[in-house]
Amino acid sequence: MTEVANIEQQIVNNKNKTNVRCQFCNSLMLKAQEGSYCQQEIDVPLMMQKQDRGADALNTETLSHFWMIADMMTFENIGFSHTVDGRKFLVCADCERGPVGYHEISSKRCYLALERVVHKDD
Amino acid sequence: MAKTYDYLFKLLLIGDSGVGKTCILFRFSEDAFNTTFISTIGIDFKIRTIELDNKKIKLQIWDTAGQERFRTITTAYYRGAMGIMLVYDITLEKSFENIKNWIRNIEENAAADVEKMLLGNKCELNDKRQVSKERGEQLAIEYGIKFMETSAKASINVEEAFLTLASDIKAKTEKRMEANNPPKGGHQLKLTESRTKDSWLSRCSLL
Repeated sequence: MTEVANIEQQIVNNKNKTNVRCQFCNSLMLKAQEGSYCQQEIDVPLMMQKQDRGADALNTETLSHFWMIADMMTFENIGFSHTVDGRKFLVCADCERGPVGYHEISSKRCYLALERVVHKDD
Repeated sequence: MAKTYDYLFKLLLIGDSGVGKTCILFRFSEDAFNTTFISTIGIDFKIRTIELDNKKIKLQIWDTAGQERFRTITTAYYRGAMGIMLVYDITLEKSFENIKNWIRNIEENAAADVEKMLLGNKCELNDKRQVSKERGEQLAIEYGIKFMETSAKASINVEEAFLTLASDIKAKTEKRMEANNPPKGGHQLKLTESRTKDSWLSRCSLL
């Protein structure tokens, strides 16, 4: 997981300085320089949901730091969930843990949450 | 923006439910109090990147998402598919018999030149085997397609199977391109990073 305090050092010329990988299994998701930094406040479901939550209550948190990827084929390895309310959630293609971000059907853009991934080349 | 890859192939996984097209159950360490959000909504498709002969290839791999239970796989699902993995379970005779039905379904709905490959999955369960390897091979010969026994769980041959299918599609695509545009001499050199050692295909999933 990349802490908010360390986010600034991941951004060089508005792009991701290093490769972006799964925090659990190290799967390579995005190569360096392929994502554009973008700040926006989005509610993203938590990776683990409490079982005692109500039927349609979703545990979410607000995330603000994303890599924007205009063409989904830019990813090295990534999984897409089924569509929920015009969005598909991004998951690790290997261990399937997520969401690590989302894909907006209308704009075709993908947003990878900096706080849900790790930034390292190897 | 310049494309960062040479080819994009859309691949489908087809076969009866439960043959291990996905082995989701093995992937999550579910604990008693939490459930994952993703396991509830399910996965639609994945993008994978491989390299063959210095060409960077993007694979977009689709699972049937349970539609196969209702035999409702239609033309829309097959649209644009360049390769199909036909998967049966070597411990389930019925799933093998149904391959013929799946092939008929493909012939009716998919492009005529779609590249197909037959996979006998769960080959780690040899003691429960109902379909011999020879029968798998024989069926593949009958349809003129390639065959492999795989184990998504034990990571046997899964990577090889995808590389084989991708390589066959690539060969076919290049042959077609050559027929359309004969090479004018000279060739393109391109630097590409080699695949990570820790390959995605070595994990517990056909996807």
